[in-house]
Amino acid sequence: MKVIAIALMAFTEAVRDRILYSLLAFALAMIGSSTILVRLSVGGEEKIVKDLGLSAISLMGVLIAVFIGVGLVSREIDRRTIYPVLARPVHRAEFILGKFCGLGLTLLVNVAVMAAGLLGIARVLEGRWSPELLPAVLLLFVELLLLTAAAILFSTFTTPTLSAIFTLSLFVIGRLSGDLRAFAQQFGGRATRALVTALTYALPDLARLNIGEASVHGLPLGHGYVPLALLYGTAYLVLFLAAAIVLFQRRDLK
Amino acid sequence: MTWRSVPGAALLLAAALSVVPLSSALEARAPRLGGGAAAEPVLPRAAVLRPLLLGFHPLAADLYWLRTIQYVGAHLQTDERFQALYGLVDLVTSLDPHFVAAYQLGGLFLVIAKQFPEAAAIYEKGIAANPLRWELPYDLGRMYFLDLKEYDQALRWWLVADRLPGRPHYLPRMIARLYAKTGALETAFELWKAMYETTDNEWVKQTAKREMEKVLAQLRSRPSVRAGQEERSP
Repeated sequence: MKVIAIALMAFTEAVRDRILYSLLAFALAMIGSSTILVRLSVGGEEKIVKDLGLSAISLMGVLIAVFIGVGLVSREIDRRTIYPVLARPVHRAEFILGKFCGLGLTLLVNVAVMAAGLLGIARVLEGRWSPELLPAVLLLFVELLLLTAAAILFSTFTTPTLSAIFTLSLFVIGRLSGDLRAFAQQFGGRATRALVTALTYALPDLARLNIGEASVHGLPLGHGYVPLALLYGTAYLVLFLAAAIVLFQRRDLK
Repeated sequence: MTWRSVPGAALLLAAALSVVPLSSALEARAPRLGGGAAAEPVLPRAAVLRPLLLGFHPLAADLYWLRTIQYVGAHLQTDERFQALYGLVDLVTSLDPHFVAAYQLGGLFLVIAKQFPEAAAIYEKGIAANPLRWELPYDLGRMYFLDLKEYDQALRWWLVADRLPGRPHYLPRMIARLYAKTGALETAFELWKAMYETTDNEWVKQTAKREMEKVLAQLRSRPSVRAGQEERSP
């Protein structure tokens, strides 16, 4: 119950944030602009709309997760509003989980609005619904939750600016993970390969959660790929949240 | 609105109204750097570019595809030289190997540019990446049949297309004609007609229509047809 109450407070706080509306408006404008872009194209019109829509959801979702996520805990500490909360019988773990769920809910609403915009435009253009995009949107949402957990983790021990830099770096490394592994296999020595392999297991391979290309082209995924990818993303999410809770419990808030 | 806000509103209006003439004036005075849609683009290597795009490579493929169309359009209206066309289509299809329309239309653009080996390379690249799509071996066979008159190669690729799901109903008929080595013009007409009827794109439709008219003229001028017309005429 306490987690839900904190989550609802975090959600209310996030929806009051103007950054959220700017990013959402920008994403919807990006998705809407695809209707102009397709007029310039010869062939591949539906693909352009879907690619642009999924990219807008991903890009804006990452910005929301990072820039709102890094402020969730640190702002409470800076404004000293965390003290009355923790003075009540609220465990620090419940505080972290509540904050995570609040931003998760905010992201869910945003992703749903952007996905509805994308599906609506694709429906008008193709004359049919595109349910094949839904698994891609679902895994994008998991990726955003994972980044939110990372942003909260970093914000428990460092400044908001550094947390944002670390989270964005995690996104870049996570998206590059597969390529790094391939480069290491091709060009690296044994030590480099081992180091890169260790790094790719320590950090999430976010490319595994990015199935937009396959969804847009209607390519078959391996049997049970989406549930496995969901579990994969959730495993890292749990690890990041657990680390955030441990670090936050040890933090001296005096 | 109060009187105090009038100067502010007037300033805003003046700023808004000045944007278009200022933009035009700058455009007229800007240095000519050889840019524009017809300029030869500097293309990155897909292998280098792809990882840097952090998973947004399908979107980059779309943007390079739009650039390809601008490039083709600009050169069709001017010198009809398409030096960078293969590089552009190759980059698009390397960034998104499943972008079938880019193989199909990119191949068609290369055929129009009379760059047949490059067109064949693009079609074959598409076939390797999308082995279940009948459209690509069919288009490659069409190029060999209509443009290169290499009927053995056309037959080879149409036989590949014939084994794939969704292939058009008229394909076996064309294969039969090729086996019989007869009716080349009729087959050509049927190929262009199929393109005319199946495409949603106006540019492709017009191209197919022009080619149909050319083949029809050739069909009408054939000795057997002319003789028949002369016999019927009084």
